[in-house]
Amino acid sequence: MRETSAISDRGEVVFQMWYGRIREAIRSLLTTKIIAEHERDPLGNHSDALKRVLNLIRRTAPNGKYLLVCTRPFEQWRIARTSKVRGQAPTFVDDRSFDSEAKAMHAVFLMRIEELNRR
Amino acid sequence: MSSESIHGYSDRISVSSGQRIRFMVSAEGGTSYRADIVRLIRGDTNPKGPGPKEELIETSISNEYPARYQPVYAGSHVLIDDPAQLLNLGIAITLHAFIMPTTAGKGAQGILARWDPELRMGWAMVIDEQRQLALWIGDGVGHSLRVAAPTPLLDNVWYSAGTSYDSSTGRAIIDLRPLVNSVNSLVGPVAILPAPITHETITQQIKFSAESQMVFAGWASGSSATGATIVDGHYNGKIDRPCVYARALGAAEFDALATGREAGGVGPIARWDFANEIASSSIASDKVTDTSGNNLNGRCINMPARGMTGHTWAGRSEHFIHAPAEYGAIHFHDDDLEDADWKPDFELEIADSMRSGAYAARLRIRDAIDYIPFFVRPVTARPTAKIAFLAPTASYMAYANEHMGVGAGIEAIIGRTAVVQQQDLYLYEHPELALSTYDVHSDGSGVCYSSRLRPIPNMRPNYRHETGSLWGFAADLDLVGWLEAKAYAYDVITDEDLHLEGTTLINSYKVVITGTHPEYYSSAMLDALETFLIAGGRLMYLGGNGFYWVTSYFPGKPHLIEVRKGEGGSRAWQARPGEYYHSTTGERGGVWRNRARPPQKLVGVGFAAQGFDYSSSYRRMPDSRDHDTRFIFDGVPDDELIGDFGLVGGGAAGHEVDRYDLSLGTPANARLVATSEGHSDSYQRVVEEILFTYPGAGGTQDPGVRADIVYFPTLGGGAVFSTGSIAWCGSLSHNNYDNNVSRITANVLDHFMADDRLPST
Repeated sequence: MRETSAISDRGEVVFQMWYGRIREAIRSLLTTKIIAEHERDPLGNHSDALKRVLNLIRRTAPNGKYLLVCTRPFEQWRIARTSKVRGQAPTFVDDRSFDSEAKAMHAVFLMRIEELNRR
Repeated sequence: MSSESIHGYSDRISVSSGQRIRFMVSAEGGTSYRADIVRLIRGDTNPKGPGPKEELIETSISNEYPARYQPVYAGSHVLIDDPAQLLNLGIAITLHAFIMPTTAGKGAQGILARWDPELRMGWAMVIDEQRQLALWIGDGVGHSLRVAAPTPLLDNVWYSAGTSYDSSTGRAIIDLRPLVNSVNSLVGPVAILPAPITHETITQQIKFSAESQMVFAGWASGSSATGATIVDGHYNGKIDRPCVYARALGAAEFDALATGREAGGVGPIARWDFANEIASSSIASDKVTDTSGNNLNGRCINMPARGMTGHTWAGRSEHFIHAPAEYGAIHFHDDDLEDADWKPDFELEIADSMRSGAYAARLRIRDAIDYIPFFVRPVTARPTAKIAFLAPTASYMAYANEHMGVGAGIEAIIGRTAVVQQQDLYLYEHPELALSTYDVHSDGSGVCYSSRLRPIPNMRPNYRHETGSLWGFAADLDLVGWLEAKAYAYDVITDEDLHLEGTTLINSYKVVITGTHPEYYSSAMLDALETFLIAGGRLMYLGGNGFYWVTSYFPGKPHLIEVRKGEGGSRAWQARPGEYYHSTTGERGGVWRNRARPPQKLVGVGFAAQGFDYSSSYRRMPDSRDHDTRFIFDGVPDDELIGDFGLVGGGAAGHEVDRYDLSLGTPANARLVATSEGHSDSYQRVVEEILFTYPGAGGTQDPGVRADIVYFPTLGGGAVFSTGSIAWCGSLSHNNYDNNVSRITANVLDHFMADDRLPST
């Protein structure tokens, strides 16, 4: 987070305050139960608790937005982070590859949970 | 990524027997590439489906071709024709324009320039690297000067911007005055803005004659392989009423120009009024007119946006034809592109033996492959079948090269982590291939024009969308594959044909079938389908969110569409106030619903919700058991779920779904024969249906979030069958085409293509 004195958009200051509050609120929902629920089906009709978690992590991207790159059609997916510069493709975040889209999506979910829990 | 790369495009998208189509190719990673023509049967590579299928067609173009790299030069500008070199001024000069920069901090950018960047020769009014208005002067032999305003420019604020220089005295003036009224700029008159300045300095005495071409919004830096002027230093923002004087004006004269008065004395050598091309109904022109009498006219390259509010916009008129003097601006973008302008590689004449269908030029260089899709249509008014598949090419163009996978908020919008393909990565690394109507320009303004004269990696038979599923052209090949598997004789026609030829194109068919997402419609296309249905034609709308955005084709340029996303509708951006009207036709942009043509009036259903996590299925309704609708479900058990399987989200009802709604014009005789259920909260009620907001607009709580299957007859023996879901066609191939979605589609098609009267309601 940047020093507030360096921010010209005061809305950004409010966003940081809001993000701190909602992150605390969402942390209380991060149970092994909802993590297991997401692992079972990242695209299912989820419980209200998991929906609240997903609603937050899908609308905020404090460390850049993650996406999946299909590196071999129907066989291999990897996790990448979007560049904020036009003309620069997303870059892979690590060496892991996944043999299903669902597993790769769950890995992204775990990374986002880890970010939420980081102090 | 591998070093081989091959991409291309064609000059036409729809051709008939005897016509010729040219293909432009850029290939790297080898000395030659292979080209063949294939007929496309299926595209989807999903191993859970029947797999892709194409047939090699024997044509004269099958061959090896020399590989060459062909670059693309994006960015819009104006080139001035000056055969008499009137603008080759070398002693004294004044440059003036009203400007509204949108990314003043992006680096040096030309506003008005006759400048050779290599030799530093000529003259230019620019925004420099410090976001200051500046004058550049140079003689090309080592003498040059740069004079800049002391304060930086603000984005999205109108200015009167003037620069003058007299080589006999060395006097240079930068005159900069913010011109903010209540509506023309991002901020209003209550904002404290930098004070107007007239910055005067005595500097070197340099003669500055140069032979460069005059450019607005950049400077000429060379010539391309096709002889076109290459322009660098593209400007983002608006320019209004630029002019050039062959003498150096002073502060009092700049004051006159800033307030719209004459400077007095000898008039300008050129003064361009971009409102001059505003005709009685549109600005369908690339021309820029010099009103000084010197005939220093110019032409727009790469479609900068016209019909845009100028510095005098007062906010009372919203259409450029009603207040042309307030719409004297052109908005330039450094990522506009109308035509990649490559040299052609080969040309195909369509043989009589090439039956109507979806085709592609298949290009291969080592392991790299590309397909350039095109459609072979029958000769006008000579159908070869009872069925026409109307390929939604306007929608393909609207989505061409969309960058939503890396766009803001995409995870929330699609309800899942986006997944991108090699084709997407290529697009992201090659911004010169430009954008779609789902993107914003580098200055944040919406992309309102899209051209097909460029490589379009996301309109390919094997392309998968960021939702992890099929979309557009690739999804529509599921329908083509089904027609082939079921051995139906069919013609393929395109939106472009329908727009240009109207009902004549379709009135001899018994049945017209749409694609999965025929979202972008011109007035002429809607009129043609309406007339067809009134005259007894039968329409199968096998998609979702169709007939939605008002779309214009640039008259005389069928490769170019315009879409202004207005107030309402599921929109990637919204046109700025005063800019809702299409420059190319003068029509009000936005969703057809806001122009009194909701899709329900044409096909009985209209856009209700979208979500991309999973697709669901339909349940039959009481209307499906009536004597006049029973034929639809012949062979389908009464209590069977419809389409609880499929390759697009796992079900037939999903992605974007449409609903029956009498209040939006669904005909009263329409039968609601099936409706979907079980959608998740990723499916939210569309924004155009939200008046007051309240919780519970998602699929688990809102009864309006659903796909409806609707059937109704029209006058004269015509009829409409709508499935209201993008995912429908993705279920056709399930179980080797033996399933209830396939059966229902065939039941309806068999009845619609028969000469018999339909059961009447």
